[in-house]
Amino acid sequence: MTSPLFKTAARLIVPLTLLFAAYIALRGHNSPGGGFIGGLMVSVALILYRLAHGRHAILRLLPFHPRVLVALGLGIAYATALIPLLFGRPLLTSLVIDGFYIGLGQRVHFASALFFDVGVLLVVVGVTVGMIQRLSEEVDAQALRGRKTGASAALADESASSPAAAPAPAGGDFK
Amino acid sequence: MNPSFVILLVIIPALAGLACVPLVNRLGVCRIIGALGFALNLVLALSLLSPDRALVTQLGGWAAPYGISLVFDAMSGVMVAAASLVALACLVHAAGSLPDPAERRYFHPLVNFMMAGVNLSFLTGDLFNLFVAFEVMLMASYGLLVLGRGKAQLAQAYKYVLLNLVASAVFVIAAGMVYGLLGTLNLADMARITAELAARDALPAGFTAVAVLLLFVFTLKAGVFPLWFWLPDTYPTCPIAITALFGGVLTKVGGYAVARLFPLVFLVGDAGPVLQQIILVGAVLTMAVGVFGALAFRTLRRSLAMFIIIGVGYALFGVAVAQPGAIAGSVFYMAQSMVVMAAAFLACGLIETHLTTDDLRDGGALQKTHPWLGVLFLVVLLSIAGLPPTSGFYGKFAIIRDALGAGFTWTATVAILAGALSILAVLRIWCSTFWGPEPAVLPRDADARAAALARVPSASGYAALVLLITASLGLGFLPQGMVSLAQSAGRQATTPGAYVAAVMGPVAPAVPAVPVKPAKATGTHAAPADASHDAPQPPKAHLETHPKRPARTAPTPAPAADPAAPTVPASPAAEEFHVRLPATPLAAAPHPAEHRP
Amino acid sequence: MTFVMAVCVAACVGVSVYLLLGRDLKGVAMGVFLLGHGANLSIMAMSGSPVLPHDKGLSPSNLKAAPVLGKHVPDPALAGMVDPLPQALVLTAIVIGFAVMGFLLTLLIITNRSTGTLVVDRLADEPVCTTRTDTRSEPFQPAGALS
Repeated sequence: MTSPLFKTAARLIVPLTLLFAAYIALRGHNSPGGGFIGGLMVSVALILYRLAHGRHAILRLLPFHPRVLVALGLGIAYATALIPLLFGRPLLTSLVIDGFYIGLGQRVHFASALFFDVGVLLVVVGVTVGMIQRLSEEVDAQALRGRKTGASAALADESASSPAAAPAPAGGDFK
Repeated sequence: MNPSFVILLVIIPALAGLACVPLVNRLGVCRIIGALGFALNLVLALSLLSPDRALVTQLGGWAAPYGISLVFDAMSGVMVAAASLVALACLVHAAGSLPDPAERRYFHPLVNFMMAGVNLSFLTGDLFNLFVAFEVMLMASYGLLVLGRGKAQLAQAYKYVLLNLVASAVFVIAAGMVYGLLGTLNLADMARITAELAARDALPAGFTAVAVLLLFVFTLKAGVFPLWFWLPDTYPTCPIAITALFGGVLTKVGGYAVARLFPLVFLVGDAGPVLQQIILVGAVLTMAVGVFGALAFRTLRRSLAMFIIIGVGYALFGVAVAQPGAIAGSVFYMAQSMVVMAAAFLACGLIETHLTTDDLRDGGALQKTHPWLGVLFLVVLLSIAGLPPTSGFYGKFAIIRDALGAGFTWTATVAILAGALSILAVLRIWCSTFWGPEPAVLPRDADARAAALARVPSASGYAALVLLITASLGLGFLPQGMVSLAQSAGRQATTPGAYVAAVMGPVAPAVPAVPVKPAKATGTHAAPADASHDAPQPPKAHLETHPKRPARTAPTPAPAADPAAPTVPASPAAEEFHVRLPATPLAAAPHPAEHRP
Repeated sequence: MTFVMAVCVAACVGVSVYLLLGRDLKGVAMGVFLLGHGANLSIMAMSGSPVLPHDKGLSPSNLKAAPVLGKHVPDPALAGMVDPLPQALVLTAIVIGFAVMGFLLTLLIITNRSTGTLVVDRLADEPVCTTRTDTRSEPFQPAGALS
């Protein structure tokens, strides 16, 4: 997975995926899309980056434990959900502004549910990246162990033969 | 009291869980956050509890059949309060009994998230939201179940995890079928539609099948007869504080779901007697299996786990009898069983520490060395068996009285026999732990025993136990408040009209038989928020007073004020919250399900 | 279309039942995931507006109408609208299934590491909790201790 071809392609694909993820996440209010899908796409980008540049590259990109993202995202989502309570409205009531001025003469339909979606996005990124990092750590370790002892444990069967490709099965599920 | 605040019962544990995620390594802080959260929940639930009102909130302001309703009435309120109490006690006990590494491994976030799911499943008034709440609860419970990763724990965890995953898939299918058949997932709307259809003898084909699918899901969670086998294997493998939490709370969620949904929605028309028979047979066999299991199992934890199953049997028996008094008995029994079973497991933890074994045949003479623990444990055991001065009595009594009154003679006999045998099972446990012979110590065990005896059970273990026993005794000696709540829950369950009125709104303006030709609507949010904006539902709905009637909310036909011109505020500061009702002209139009020409 | 959906659901559920009944936990996990997909597909198959028995005059065109709008579509632009609720339900179920998948895979890895096997029969040999024989054969661990 360290071939120059893949690295070069990843350099192009990762930003495009992130951009598309942002588009998908933002249009989710009234059209197909939303925080969850956007979050999955961001994770796909991050995982692609990880596959291309190795296990430690993602630590440079996200220099903290993914659970921080989960906590942050949940916090934003909770805040969005709870603020209406302060105004005596039911939980999750959305503030809707039609024709919200965003500059450059453009007005958009704005809903505070957007922040909820952003929270969801962060949670999904945190969970997915954390999950895959954790899973592939185990697979990496097992693959290494399998290479050293020659005994491959049940789950590492597929990946033990080529340790370098070990993260692929874990990451590949989400493409 | 603004009914919107009902959601706090779910939000508080969820927020506490969130706060515990980054603080997971600072146990002291986590413990305080969790304990404060559960205590706050308990106080809030107790202060909202009232036998004659239901607090209903519609999430996001979407009106009843379209959005998600949360209903805090006598039945759900009692369960929420009991669950919060149990969670508080288990948290206190865990602080003393759970090894630090396990507690650091996300015990606190998981417990809090689990309780958020549990409270949501009690409060929700929407079938699919019930599924979501179950999943929140289950995901957290999977985590708790494998906490510490003991080998036995892992091996047994698969039973629980896989069974529940299959049940979840069945739940999804059943929810889809309910939506396909009835066109709604709101419990109140479902109740209204099924009552209407049953009155016309027009229940859709497959209605009973869907109900049985749901029954499968709920009874699997509750541990009812054909689906009880996983329970004595999985629960006892956990650290004892978690076992107590699971044993107290999780099974009752399944029981509550049956008690909530079936009298309300499914026990109608032709389907009623069939489902009643199924629940009845399941309940009776559950009691029988439970009591024999409690007599037969050789370890303390497994015996106690079988008492959970007996309790679920009684609760379902009351539901199957479907009389107001019997359902009241079920509610009372479930709430007290939560408290008492958790207390039993917490006491079991203390006993194990002293005896260094949980095998009943090894015997123990704890009465000599720990008389006060003996007193506490005896109170717990008598409450489980349901002897009169304790809290277990009223529930069983009400259920059996109404069952006899309604002609369920044989099944009531079985229930009485099961009660008698459970006294025997309880005495067996008592005699072998407190009045037994001094256990023989094998040389190999001697060190472990000495080590265990040196480990003085922390004060927190006793504190938790005393808390639960005080609550249980309070229920036993001063039952009036709880009885009136339970009776209200029973009346409410047998007269679905009141629940429907509370959720869907009390006023049902005559719906025109001919569909109103709706005005032109331009978008979802374009409708001006009208009178229903300020009061989407009445803050208090007096359950007894509303006659049973179709209660389709048709929001006051708005001054169809020009939806084409959405409010564009000059400054966002002046912006109000739009209550996102479906566009008014559409909502005023009759439901297509009922008035399709 | 309904027939195709039915075949897909049947295939998913059938394969998943076969996998669920196997001994290999990897297969069982795949079976669980497939069952979830089957359930989601079946919701999609059952979606559309409610088919109540008293609606005899249902035509296929209004079967899939949005429930709030019904047939009385206020705006021609909305005429092709289908009921969005089942899709929301399925999305929720997918999200939950995703989390469950992550958990189950992690559990498999941990199990494999700590017991060295993923075959149900061999896992089942583990004692459930301290029993008489266990107490005698290995040192007892006090209450709450993790075995």
